[in-house]
Amino acid sequence: MQTTFTAEQLRDPDTAEANKILRTCVHCGMCTATCPTFLLLGDELDSPRGRIYLIKDMLENGRAATELEARHVDRCLSCLSCMTTCPSGVHYMHLVDHARRHIEETYRRPWPERALRSVLARVLPRPGLFRLSLRAAALARPLARLIPGRGTTAQRLRAMLTLAPAALPPRSPMQEAPLHPAEGTRRGRVALLTGCAQKVLDPTINEATIRLLTRMGIEVVVPRGQGCCGALTHHMGQHDPAMAAARANLQAWGAEIEGQGLDAIVINASGCGTTVKDYGFMFRDEPEAALAAKISELAMDVTEVLDRFGYRPSREAPGLTVAYHSACSLQHGQKITALPKELLKRAGFAVKEPAEPHICCGSAGTYNLLQPGIAQALRARKLENMARLDADLVAAGNIGCITQLSGDALPVVHTVELLDWMAGGPKPAKLSA
Amino acid sequence: MGPALSRVALADGEAQGHFDPMIRLPPPKPEILARRDGILADLGRLLPEDAVIGEAIRLRPYETDGLSAYRQMPLAVTLPRTTEEVAAVLRYCHANGIRVVPRGAGTSLSGGALPLEDAVVIGLMRMNRILEVNYDDRFAVVEAGVTNIGITKAVEGDGFFYAPDPSSQLACMIGGNVMMNSGGAHCLKYGVTANNLLGLTFVTIEGEVVRIGGQHLDAAGYDWLGLITGSEGQLGMVTEVTVRILRSPEGARAMLAAFSSVEVAGQAVDAIIGAGVIPVALEFMDKPCIHACEAFAHAGYPLDAEAVLIIEVEGSLAEQDMLLNRIKEICDRFEPISMKLAESAEQSLAIWKGRKGAFGAVGRISPDYLCMDGTIPTGELPHVLKRIGEMSAHYGLGVANVFHAGDGNLHPLIMFDANDAESFRKAEAFGADILRLCVEVGGCLTGEHGVGVEKRDLMVAQFTPRELALQRAVKSAFDPGWLLNPAKVFPLEGNEALAA
Amino acid sequence: MSAALDKVTAPDTEEGVAEAVRAALAAREPLAVEGRGTKRAMLRPVQAARTLSTRALTGITLYRPTELVISARAGTPVAEIEAALAEKNQMLIAEPPDLRALFGAEEGATLGGVVGANLSGPRRITGGAMRDHVLGIRAVSGEGEVFRSGGRVLKNVTGLDLCKLLTGAYGTLGVLTEVTLKVQPAGEATGTLAVRVPDLAEGIAVLSAALSSPFGVSGAALLPEGHAPLGLDGPVALVRIEDFAESVTYRLGRLRAALSCFGEVSMLEGAPSRAAWRAVRDAVPLGAAPEGAVWRISVAPSRAPGVCAALREAFPARLLLDWGGGLVWVSGPATAEAHAAVMAAAAVAGGTFTLFRAPEALSAAVAVLPEEPAPLAAIGGRVKSVLDPAGILNPGRMRAGA
Repeated sequence: MQTTFTAEQLRDPDTAEANKILRTCVHCGMCTATCPTFLLLGDELDSPRGRIYLIKDMLENGRAATELEARHVDRCLSCLSCMTTCPSGVHYMHLVDHARRHIEETYRRPWPERALRSVLARVLPRPGLFRLSLRAAALARPLARLIPGRGTTAQRLRAMLTLAPAALPPRSPMQEAPLHPAEGTRRGRVALLTGCAQKVLDPTINEATIRLLTRMGIEVVVPRGQGCCGALTHHMGQHDPAMAAARANLQAWGAEIEGQGLDAIVINASGCGTTVKDYGFMFRDEPEAALAAKISELAMDVTEVLDRFGYRPSREAPGLTVAYHSACSLQHGQKITALPKELLKRAGFAVKEPAEPHICCGSAGTYNLLQPGIAQALRARKLENMARLDADLVAAGNIGCITQLSGDALPVVHTVELLDWMAGGPKPAKLSA
Repeated sequence: MGPALSRVALADGEAQGHFDPMIRLPPPKPEILARRDGILADLGRLLPEDAVIGEAIRLRPYETDGLSAYRQMPLAVTLPRTTEEVAAVLRYCHANGIRVVPRGAGTSLSGGALPLEDAVVIGLMRMNRILEVNYDDRFAVVEAGVTNIGITKAVEGDGFFYAPDPSSQLACMIGGNVMMNSGGAHCLKYGVTANNLLGLTFVTIEGEVVRIGGQHLDAAGYDWLGLITGSEGQLGMVTEVTVRILRSPEGARAMLAAFSSVEVAGQAVDAIIGAGVIPVALEFMDKPCIHACEAFAHAGYPLDAEAVLIIEVEGSLAEQDMLLNRIKEICDRFEPISMKLAESAEQSLAIWKGRKGAFGAVGRISPDYLCMDGTIPTGELPHVLKRIGEMSAHYGLGVANVFHAGDGNLHPLIMFDANDAESFRKAEAFGADILRLCVEVGGCLTGEHGVGVEKRDLMVAQFTPRELALQRAVKSAFDPGWLLNPAKVFPLEGNEALAA
Repeated sequence: MSAALDKVTAPDTEEGVAEAVRAALAAREPLAVEGRGTKRAMLRPVQAARTLSTRALTGITLYRPTELVISARAGTPVAEIEAALAEKNQMLIAEPPDLRALFGAEEGATLGGVVGANLSGPRRITGGAMRDHVLGIRAVSGEGEVFRSGGRVLKNVTGLDLCKLLTGAYGTLGVLTEVTLKVQPAGEATGTLAVRVPDLAEGIAVLSAALSSPFGVSGAALLPEGHAPLGLDGPVALVRIEDFAESVTYRLGRLRAALSCFGEVSMLEGAPSRAAWRAVRDAVPLGAAPEGAVWRISVAPSRAPGVCAALREAFPARLLLDWGGGLVWVSGPATAEAHAAVMAAAAVAGGTFTLFRAPEALSAAVAVLPEEPAPLAAIGGRVKSVLDPAGILNPGRMRAGA
């Protein structure tokens, strides 16, 4: 597609990068078909191609963002379904990330929204603070229905209270321990990103990961100083906090690589995985560029590591049918599609996939809090497709999706919990209920 | 496209190294432009709040379609959800002399949905419901905004499919397919859109809703269904479509045959059809295309071949074997460089992978391409490809050819750089030369993409002035005020209805 | 049509046709447009002092078997075209009927005639109608001007498709002078399955099952009781396969097994199969009485039993169903009451009807085609005045006063 950036504009490396991406787009419109918001809203402006065009216009004119650009870019889930579909290889992720930052830097949102975004950016990446907030939310949960009004703010408040779990799981000493030695002969050594929100909402995911890996002869370290991957703020366009979070991880993992070395950095929340795998790009013009590239190479989804080290079940097949929910960050962001299903089958489960497997469930990080209307419509659509499968449970590889889809008839667990169970771990508590 | 004639390049833009390849459009009606705010307010009363777009920023993404070289901002965009809403907008526009531009998914490669400055775009993307599926009588009733593949998705679980399969079938919408009479790789056997329709809900420019055809074959009286199909929005709008659905074959398999010359590959195609074998698909790629596809898809295409045929047959496994062996025997007579018969569905997919990704593959080796769509008598293939090669050298622009060999529908992809004004001009002129050549050898300007705005000025190469006048008069019978998608299909020259 | 023989003009060139039309236009004289006039009793009679016949405008002008196209002048007999195609093992896809017996004609139809009337036979159900295979036309307008639409290639969406408009327009929008058709290889072999069924509804179910199978059925007809040509009693469902011999054998076997749940399935191969379908194509089993009327009703197949029941209640209707049940041939008394019953039955079933053949006393007095919705009728009037401004081409052929 033609672009009209001036030579002056193109001297800025970020603009040059955006130009490069825009030039690969031939405006064919294939992406519209697999975009969840276009399916729901039926407006070019809420499709990848429309957003690309909006962004192009805004950047070419060097214009500050307005409420209009913010509205349509904010509605993007960053599910990256469009990138799977695109025949021309347009890197939509980098373009929309750039646009989010431009909007954040040039547009002042109305105060309730600013306040909400600021709270989310502060609280979610900090497990302690997040835990406290969830306790408060749990107390306030019955009040959700009482919040009056149909405005966006009221909707968002209700969504926050509804999504907050009624009871919090207890703290897990296991995921806080810095080192988990391999059982038997050590076959490898990995760092585990224990994450931020996930460790509060569902510590059993990290526990299952650690148990399974160590049982397979892999030493698991939980490096000091690692924390949120930066995705939460990155997707809100908050460049500096995102880079700071990522930088802290680079340092923590860099030290491990320097020290005893790492075979992989294991990530069991695919939303985080997509971001860590993109550190190389995020830091391309920073002093840490080389380290970041190395880290991105080492970053692996837990299913990739399990496959690499030859996952094998030890229990009898449980006779259960799993509805596998493909998290967008896994299938579109990291292009991991068949592997989790293959592992679940290897573990002895019957695996089914719902219709429209490529369509997002509406979780998308903080999206379900910021765009509750669309998020709920997508959740309902996903659950409807799930219900037709006649499955016993749902498995997914991302905490966001697990939270989003929970609360319906079927229990929703992390893929690794099932794999751990079949390899000798405990039966996931959600399945016993 | 009648090269320099039809474009007004903006001089000051070019001075900065940029250019605006605007296609010439009829002069906007000043009285309509002046009433813009009032029109938006009126539309806002006719439709729900979220169905009218008027802000410049939000109109921008609607200024173009799948042919992004041409752009024009519309007056307004409307996104109705029902036939009644479409009728209300048309009625209003008719009463007020406002031009309208219908839009489906906006995937047209001929600029069929290019707006006009004084036009209201009517987008059908929200009309995406499947209304009825009937297996006893083998039809489906869908709204115009249902995607082509969406119809097949809705019935494939029960063993049925909707036959026409344009390359953009993932995104393109059935309403657009009807308007452009879309084809696809499998239309050699199953026909194009027009051959697979039973009925339409048609809205006239006056806003009258008319049912055409129904759930039965061959309506009595004039064949309005046939005339409207492929009319590119010139006659009215379509909001619901009744399509025939067919039972899927037992299976399908592909083979690949590579030849040392274009002529020989063409002879092989003739021999296959001459032997009474009609494959479901018969695709041809020339050397540049083979190389582009192989680089992207790694499908194992032979790089030393001058031409590759991809041939697909249907039926039971035994029938597939029988047909593939017959075709193989025929191809053997033409000393192929190599042949590969798929043993499984996976191997078929691998053979198809490169071809299906051909446009994207060319998009990766060139910043931009123009996709031509002429049809030629298949016997003319060697001559036409040779001439295209000479033109490519003349213009200094690369071209890759993919071709529905069974039906003569040629898709040369002309590679150019949209940020280089000269390159774009050359690409346009190159494309026009190819299409004139197609007509010269007994073919036509467009086999499935439609005339749109892209080829309208070349219509004089195919039709006499009187023939064009007759077609224009038929349009006038539906749309006396020329409010429906004007500036498309017919050259502006000599069109009194559009003169200022 | 009351054309005296000395008032027939039969030019042997396209320019001659154009001149004849221009002369009629200058004299403001309506023209009856026809080929060999074999279907004069179809639809309504034309009131014209002169007849313009394309019978002398003959000859195949282009035939490229490997490109699947054939062009011929409008007056070329269909039989001549079929013979030329047969030499190369090809065929007319739409399988146009030979209606000499039905219309009491001595000569066979011309290409222009079957295209002008959009006549298709049994293969229409899966192969498409005549109108689906018209790739290009040359025609003379009511102003005596030659115009073309379409071309000679299989895929063509350039400009408005006037081929579709003139196909089935019975010469009211222009005089066809040359037609280019898409053709296809003829099946190497053919075979037919016959299933005796207790009633029409069950027969439609057999045809629907066959058409919903993956076996490429190319004919699906239902012969009501009293027409059993195969020594079978009662209504018989017929299903045809045409393809390479191996395929036909395989598919007949699979289909026979699939249909056996409906009852005993018998099989016809080769010549008997061809003869059965020729009979269906030409509406022979209908056994229409020469003095009676013949209608064709087109409906969704599942509505056909209802249509048939309603007709039988109204008059002693003889019936023949083709196109999977979607085409109902009806014969009965040539009365206004019977015609009203046909109109009503078609309307109730959401379909359409044609008074295919009737004595002038009936066809001149009733609507031989369904009324169009007012907006469409208005558009139709304007389209007619574009192509035939003086209204001299076959006036009244399709509708009174048009």
